Amino acid sequence: MWSDTEPDLPRDTRNAIMKRLTRLLSPLLILALVIGSLPAIAAVPAADQGLVGTTTLLDAQSSQQDRDKIRRVLAREDVQQQLLLQGVSPAEVENRVAALSDAEARQMADRLDQMPAGASVVGALFAVFIILLVTDILGLTDVYPFTR
Amino acid sequence: MTGLFSTAGRQNARPAGVLALVLTLLLLTGCATAPSLSPATRQALPSMALNEVVPFHGQRDYQCGPASLAMALEAAGLEVSVDELIPQVFLPGRDGSVQPEMLATVRRHGRIPFRLEGDFATLLDELAADHPVVVMQNLSLPAFPQWHYAVAIGYDLPAEELVLHTGMTPSRRIGFARFDATWARSERWAFVALPPGELPADANAESATRAIADFETVQGSEAALPAWQALAERHPDVATIQFALGNARHATGDADAAMAAFQAAVNADPELAPAWLNLGIVAADQDRLDTAREALSRAAALPGPWQSRAREERQALETEDDA
Repeated sequence: MWSDTEPDLPRDTRNAIMKRLTRLLSPLLILALVIGSLPAIAAVPAADQGLVGTTTLLDAQSSQQDRDKIRRVLAREDVQQQLLLQGVSPAEVENRVAALSDAEARQMADRLDQMPAGASVVGALFAVFIILLVTDILGLTDVYPFTR
Repeated sequence: MTGLFSTAGRQNARPAGVLALVLTLLLLTGCATAPSLSPATRQALPSMALNEVVPFHGQRDYQCGPASLAMALEAAGLEVSVDELIPQVFLPGRDGSVQPEMLATVRRHGRIPFRLEGDFATLLDELAADHPVVVMQNLSLPAFPQWHYAVAIGYDLPAEELVLHTGMTPSRRIGFARFDATWARSERWAFVALPPGELPADANAESATRAIADFETVQGSEAALPAWQALAERHPDVATIQFALGNARHATGDADAAMAAFQAAVNADPELAPAWLNLGIVAADQDRLDTAREALSRAAALPGPWQSRAREERQALETEDDA
């Protein structure tokens, strides 16, 4: 883009301009993101004006403190991002996150990568075929139906 | 060449190797012994149970999660297809479905997921109560996991067999020992999906309260009210449950019944400040000023995170009185 408009600028100057631009833009972007997420964070305590809610009491009893509210909102946003990366359609992602409980959202935000994903009964790698065959016969595993 | 590979040694090498392999595997995985059921448990259970109403959906590709959910939800009285569930629970990037989303999807469809806690006997109890149980197994060894969801629909005590809708096989019979070995690797993860108002056979008060509260957050108080009602009937002396029932009744516009529930909550636990506070707020709304004044004073006298709120409410009531 720069070279189109000002082809004669030396590389050093161009870099300097870029650097100054980045330095100007970054704080602005951070500010915009923070302000953007404020309504979501502020909305949670506002809901507490009526009766003391059931989940509020349960959280207090299980020593999950109020300060967690911000983390809850962030956890849900985090899960949403991760689901999109895993190929969930954008149209579904919001509904899927909304159906999670706070604890589940936090679990997924913390360790989705390590979570077991129930998949199928398709066969295992050949490298472990023999071991699993033996364990199947011993009744420790259930990989190959023909062992029974 | 060492002595092990000499002519005499070579003859013994193969059996010795097999023995070593078997012993190592046994050490690694523990023995597949049948789960122990106490004689009392056996006595209490019917010797056989089979829920033949549970429909079967074969899984395609990696979709045992959606297939298991479809079976459990249909058994709970819902018309829902596997194809409809796939975009709601399947994770393409993982070629599978994760546990929290299995529970969340049940919630989305207006059924309450109750996690089973405990052991093999708990599973049999649910099956005896005709509740199909979604279980997570690791069919393979911990080192090369093969995670899988299946639906348990019955058991046969004399034969020591469990009946599972699994993979492409409806009503497959599998020995208790083998099943428990594969199930234990998921830390015996399992749940039942029930319509609001029905409870698991072994509902533990605390975890059932959490399950219904999470459901209420997603589906609203009106949908959750029958579940609170049922849980409060089963555990009439648990203050938290009466408190939750009061909130759900209040949210659905039944102030008198809500006050009765909050009253039951403080009878069960006079130290439960939020119950006094909510009782006071609702009573004040209903112009039951004596009740309101007493309840708010009790709440204001209890130390804790709700004390300041209780004092404010009491103050507001006094000022209103004077005016």
